[in-house]
Parts: sequence; C-alpha cells; structure tokens
Amino acid sequence: MAYTKAKIKDLVDGKIDRDTLHNMLSTPKDRERFQIYLEILQEQVEWDDPIILPLGPKLYIVQRKSDKKWVIRSQAGHDFCDWDQNWKLYARVRVRSTPQQMEEIYPRLMAPSPDWQVIREYFCPLSGDLLEVEAPTPWYPVIHDFEPDIETFYKDWLGLPVPERA
Amino acid sequence: MPLDKPNRRKVQVLGIDAGGTMTDTFFVDSEGEFVVGKAQSTPQNEALGLIASSREGLEHWGLTLEEALSEIQTGVYSGTAMLNRVVQRKGLRCGLIVNAGMEDFHRMGRAIQAYLGFAYEDRIHLNTHYYDEPLVPRHLTRGVMERIDMSGTVVIPLREETARQAARELIAQDVEGIVISLLHSYRNPAHERRVRDIVQEEIAASGKSIPVFASTDYYPVRKETHRTNTTILEAYAAEPSRQTLNKISSAFKDNGSKFDFRVMATHGGTISWKAKELARTIVSGPIGGVIGAKYLGEVLGYSNIACSDIGGTSFDVALITQNELTIRNDPDMARLVLSLPLVAMDSVGAGAGSFIRLDPYTRAIKLGPDSAGYRVGVCWAESGIETVTISDCHVILGYLNPDNFLGGQVKLDRERAWNAMKEQIADPLGLSVEDAAAGVIELLDSDLRDYLRSMISGKGYSPSSFVCFSYGGAGPVHTYGYTEGLGFEDVIVPAWAAGFSAFGCAAADFEYRYDKSLDINIASEAGDDLKVRQAQTLQAAWEELKERVLEEFEINGYSADRVTLQPGFRMQYRGQLNDLEIESPILEANSAEDWDKLVEAFNDTYGRVYAAAARSPELGYSVTGAIMRGTVPIPKPRIPKEPEAGPTPPEEARLGTRKFYRHKQWVDAQLYQMEKLKPGNRVTGPAIIESDATTFVVPGGFETWLDGHRLFHLKEL
Repeated sequence: MAYTKAKIKDLVDGKIDRDTLHNMLSTPKDRERFQIYLEILQEQVEWDDPIILPLGPKLYIVQRKSDKKWVIRSQAGHDFCDWDQNWKLYARVRVRSTPQQMEEIYPRLMAPSPDWQVIREYFCPLSGDLLEVEAPTPWYPVIHDFEPDIETFYKDWLGLPVPERA
Repeated sequence: MPLDKPNRRKVQVLGIDAGGTMTDTFFVDSEGEFVVGKAQSTPQNEALGLIASSREGLEHWGLTLEEALSEIQTGVYSGTAMLNRVVQRKGLRCGLIVNAGMEDFHRMGRAIQAYLGFAYEDRIHLNTHYYDEPLVPRHLTRGVMERIDMSGTVVIPLREETARQAARELIAQDVEGIVISLLHSYRNPAHERRVRDIVQEEIAASGKSIPVFASTDYYPVRKETHRTNTTILEAYAAEPSRQTLNKISSAFKDNGSKFDFRVMATHGGTISWKAKELARTIVSGPIGGVIGAKYLGEVLGYSNIACSDIGGTSFDVALITQNELTIRNDPDMARLVLSLPLVAMDSVGAGAGSFIRLDPYTRAIKLGPDSAGYRVGVCWAESGIETVTISDCHVILGYLNPDNFLGGQVKLDRERAWNAMKEQIADPLGLSVEDAAAGVIELLDSDLRDYLRSMISGKGYSPSSFVCFSYGGAGPVHTYGYTEGLGFEDVIVPAWAAGFSAFGCAAADFEYRYDKSLDINIASEAGDDLKVRQAQTLQAAWEELKERVLEEFEINGYSADRVTLQPGFRMQYRGQLNDLEIESPILEANSAEDWDKLVEAFNDTYGRVYAAAARSPELGYSVTGAIMRGTVPIPKPRIPKEPEAGPTPPEEARLGTRKFYRHKQWVDAQLYQMEKLKPGNRVTGPAIIESDATTFVVPGGFETWLDGHRLFHLKEL
C-alpha cells in the first residue's frame, strides 16, 4: 500500500499518528517511499541541486548542478567535501573535554569523566546548526560514520538509475 | 399476525450487546425461541439505541416494547463503551496516592505494556514498542511516607501529615476520584485504610464530593502495577459506565421493565451495575460465547468443550474441561496489566476481515495482523478499503451471499473483490483468481487448525476427547476447515451462532467473585498444629471475602440465606511457578483434617490437568490466594427441544443453488435457509446454510444434521 506524500511528510516532521507509524514499521516498505522522501527533503532546502541521499538531520549527499560532482552539503548550503570523504574533518568542532564543559549539559556526577570520554560536536560553519555529536575516548580518531554504496543502493535495492557523477 | 388473536408469546430473557457501531438485542421467549434486534449505536445516550434495537427485534414477534418488558425476568448487558474509554484514554481526571519515593512507578508501568496486544512480529521488533500516557499523570500523583514489607510488618509507621498534605493537594486540583495504592497493602491493609480515612476526612472538610478507591478494598492482590492499574480503572472508567448503566436501567424502567440489569463480568458471571467492582465488566462480549457453551454443555452433557469463535479481527479459542472454565488472574487489556479474574481465552489475530498481502521479497501470502474489522473488505464499495481481505475471498468463492450480508444491510460487490484479488494477489503469483482465493482460505484454515491443535495438545489433551463448538459471525464459515482431520468427538454449530454471545450472557449466573492474595507455605511433613494454623489463615481470608460477596448481594436485595457460597483457593507445590485454581471441597477450613482435604483436592486436580506422575507432594504446598464466589438462582434461557422430523429438509428451506469453488473446481452448492431447517434434517455437502448474520458452509465430503436442540452436528464422510 502506498502512503500519501502528506503522510510521509508527517513522518519526516515527526508528526505522524501512532497507528500509521505502527503500520509502516510492521509492513514491508512501499516501493515509492524513498523517492517521495527525497522530494519532501528537496522541498525543505533552499537550493535546487538534487539530493542523492540524506546523511543525517540537515546533512545530505547532493549532485552539484554546476559540475555534477557528488558532494556532502549542509541544509544551509555549505559544501564540506566529496561524498566519500569524512565531512567531519571539514566542519567546525567543539570538544568538551573538561568537567566544566561537561556540566554545561549534564548535571554534576552524571557526566562522563573527560579522562575516559570526550564529547565532540560538529557544526555547519554557515548556520551554526549542530549536525553530529560523537562521544569517543579522548584519543580516538574522528569517526567516519557512514560510507554508503550508492550505486548498489540505487541499482539493486531501489531499481533506479544511478545519478550522473563527474 | 391477526390483531384479534392475543399474542401468547412470553418473553423471558433480554441480552444486549452494545458495540461501537451496532447495538444488538437478543430476546428469548419461554419456548426457547429467540429474535435478534439491531440498531445503530448511540454513544451520546446508549439508552436510545437500545430502545430502538429492542423495538426492532420485538416487531418480528408483533410485540410492543411495553408488552415485552413487563414480562422479562432477566436482562444482561455487555458493551464496549468502558473498554473504548480506556483504549482511548478518555476517562475521568483521577488523583493517585502511592508510597513516597514510588511516585513514578505507575507512569513507568511494566515493560510488557509497551507491546501488549501486538502481533508476534511486532513484539520482537523493538522499534514498534511505545508507552502510553499514564492513566494518572505525574502531576496528580502524590507520595505518603510509610512502608510495610512483604510479610506485612510495619517498617516505617504511617506519617499521617503526609497523607493529609497529599489529599489536600489533590483535592485542590479538582480531581474526580482519588485512588490509593500502597506497597504490600494486600498483606497488611492497616496503613492504606488509614490513608483512605484521612483522605475522606479531608474531602469532607473541603466540602467537595470525590469518590475514594483504596486498592485493598477492591483488589487485595500481589503485583502493585496490576493492582494499581485495576484500582485506577474503577475510578477512571467504571464510574462513567455506572452512570450509563443507570441511565439505561431507568430508560427501560420508564418503558415498564421490572427486572434489574446485570452486566457480564470477566470472571464469567454477571453482576449488578450497582456492584462495587465494576471495572471487571471491561470486556464481556467474547466471554459470553464461552459461558453459553458451558451452559449448553451442562444441560446436554458435554463436559469437554473447545469453544471457537471467528469474528472480524480474531480467532478466539477457550477450553472447558470437566465443565470447568480456566480463570486467568492477571490478564491484560487496553495495553494495561490488570488484576482481574478473567475467563482464559487465547486469540490469534486472524479473522474474516484480516488483510491479505504478498511479501514483496518472498512472494509469500501474509494474513493480517491488521484487519478491516467491521468494514468487511474491498467487496463493500463504501468501506474505503483497498487491500483485499478474507471476506473478499469468501465472496469470490461463493461462500457468502453478496446480497444477504447482515441480512442484506450491506451489499457486497463480487466484481470489485475479484478485480482487487486479481491485481493484488493472483496476477503477481501467476494464479487464477479462484485458485489464489482458495489458497488463501486453505492457508487460513490450516493456520487456525494448527493453532487449535496446539492449544489443545499444549495443555496435554487430545481433540478426540473434546466437542468443538463453533459460533460467531464467521465461525461456521470455516468450521469444516479448522476442524478437518483433528478428530474431535463432535463438531457443533448452534443454529443461533451469531447471537451466541448474547445467549451466553443471558445464561450466565448472577455471581460475585472476590480474590485475595495469601502466602501460606507448608512442608509435606508438617505437623497438625501447623496445618490448623494454615487452615485458619485461609478461613480468615474466606470470611473477609464472604462478607464482601454478601454485601454486594445485599445491595441488590438478596439476603444472605439466599446466596450459595463456594470458596476456592489457588495452590501450588512449593517452589513451582504456576498455581492452580481449586474449588474447595469444604465450606470452612478449621482443622488439620480440613487442611488435608484441601491438599487432596489440589493433588487430584493437578493429576488431571497435568499428569498423575508429575505430582510433587514432597515439595510441600503453597496457597497463593483465597477465592469466594457467591451465586443466587436466576431464570436462564431455555434450550429449545423440538421433535425430530425426517432427514429430508422441507422444500421451503431450499433457496436454490450458488456456484461454490473448492479443490480446484466449481460446483453447485445447495443453499438452505437456516431457520427453516427442521430437527432431524440431514444436509450433505456441497451446501451452504444461510442466516441473516451467519453462514454455515458444508463443503463436499461433509454432512451435517440438525438435532432437536437446534444444534448442527458436522461430520466428515
């Protein structure tokens, strides 16, 4: 069964009713879902370069119109890097590594000890949107969260042509 | 009916099933004949729909409402209003008083409440789990300082000023009821009762009128989430229902009725709408059928019965063994765990309205778990349903008459069903539409059959010692399918299958039942003095419960000498996890000999339910609960008894033929009007026996005959 675009938009906006959500979760995904999802995301951004894959809230892999390059872009329009690179290396970062910094967001004694764990917050340099947070041990390298196999996903899973790539 | 002839019919019993969309009334006369009335439900004032439905039903007999009501001796109500109120969380604004430091346990609930009522696939699919809003929000919950431990010992005395403070704060917030539930109050109720009295004093001082519900006065049983949820339901949902029932009762009184309404309760008896514990009437419909089967069994001599009922959304099975129902003590309803005695019933989410889908990856046919419910399926154009359902298959294959669904109130469109079936199931599978639909029906039948078999064998029985009763709107459509090859002693379809639940409600005893948790432990080699002490502990609990049973009957004007009391208890071998409910062989327990009789009754039952070799008396015994049931005699519907005619059905029962598809071929099924068949008649398949609200399918290879009690017996040839 296909859901209407309005229902999928409710899902994206977190306003969907409980019954429909339950149905969506417990039945196989409708075929058109990903395309409708992309349409809704595309309507929510101010640029018109096509979104290929969402990477997280306010973060996308897009096909840049000007040169057909696949890049990682924030909602506000900042291009971080090529689609297969770790975008966090190009973002603004704040590292919480002292008890004082931890206590800004956690009550005392309920925060991790900075000797064991730090909190790294990655921001969009244009808008200041918080795009990702990671909480590794202090010495751990910047985590590369996700390396999508877009070609397989489009061709074999969705049955769609792979978008052009320069 | 000519007007100059007086109508000699004496109407005796009225059964009411007030559903969300339709209100059914079921009248039985002194000859055991019955008539069903239907009308649209009127949720604003249920009495209106009820009166309309009654008038409609009685019209078939040429009676006016006033004539009939003045004769009726008994009226039983079952409805879904209270359950809906709880499901939609639309109850009264209640306050809750618990132990200080425990204020969050109600809203945290039990983890199982996050997936209660889900299909198995969803239970193991964590993403679907969610918690409901609590019945009482945190800001209306207060803690009082006290603590009683699990042995009933006071650990912290009650700080009375905290109770006063809590009461004042809740009263100031204009709550419509106050519920008190303290830890281990079932073991030692002193503190909870004191808090209750303090709250009542504070309410009196404020000049307001707010009902107070202490858990120990209602459900003095273990497990605080269960006990608290159930006590909250009394305040939250049962009080509004009491108002509704009061209205209905007076509406009928205005029309000349002389009887007092009773309501079907979860323990399988009926209770007055004035009863203190009204929350236990939260579900009643499906129990009615089981009670009806038990009653029929008692009168006609069937002691082991497998009850089966297919409705729009589920297949319900209950077992009656040696004329006894199984009672479950902590059922769940509306995603809440509760402490109510409930007639045990197992359900699987496959009914006539279940949706049929193809798994896009495996191409396997999947039934349910969701369903179209009362909206039937694609075959009903106005339903708005787009996914094919089991009912669509029935229409395609000729099981159902599309022009006589619910007596023709709903017109079904076979072509719509056919096209949808072709597009959604048949074409993707490369099958003809008939074969796809027949495959779905076979799949459903084998699912139900496996389920029924596992239900019976899982409890250590064999189907050959059971009679299977099949009823409900869609039960008889599939009776042949889910009983085929199981080897039941007999398979029975009552000719009043559709109204069987209402019949069961009318046949239920006027019975109150109260439960109390106990912790009696005794070694197998215990001496007489210990046995005497334990017997007396049990006796004290029985006394307490007896008082409450008698008090309930008192409200309805029955004095103690008219009440038959039956004590019971729950016992297990020490250290085991499951207890058994035992009807006590003695009315009072005081001596060591009395104790031995209780133990003997337990050992007997254990040997019967499980196996004699599994008995483990060397472990010693625990009594986990005391039970007291009280009944008064009431008139019950008579089971019809007609003389048998010959085996050939009368000509006027024949309704022509319809194309019917099964086992890869279309055949002409002979159609019969169920009501016109005479006792003694034999019908050999392929045949379809139709009535307004149910259809009984007898395919080739099966034969059925109608006995003098208007019960069809189905047999494989």
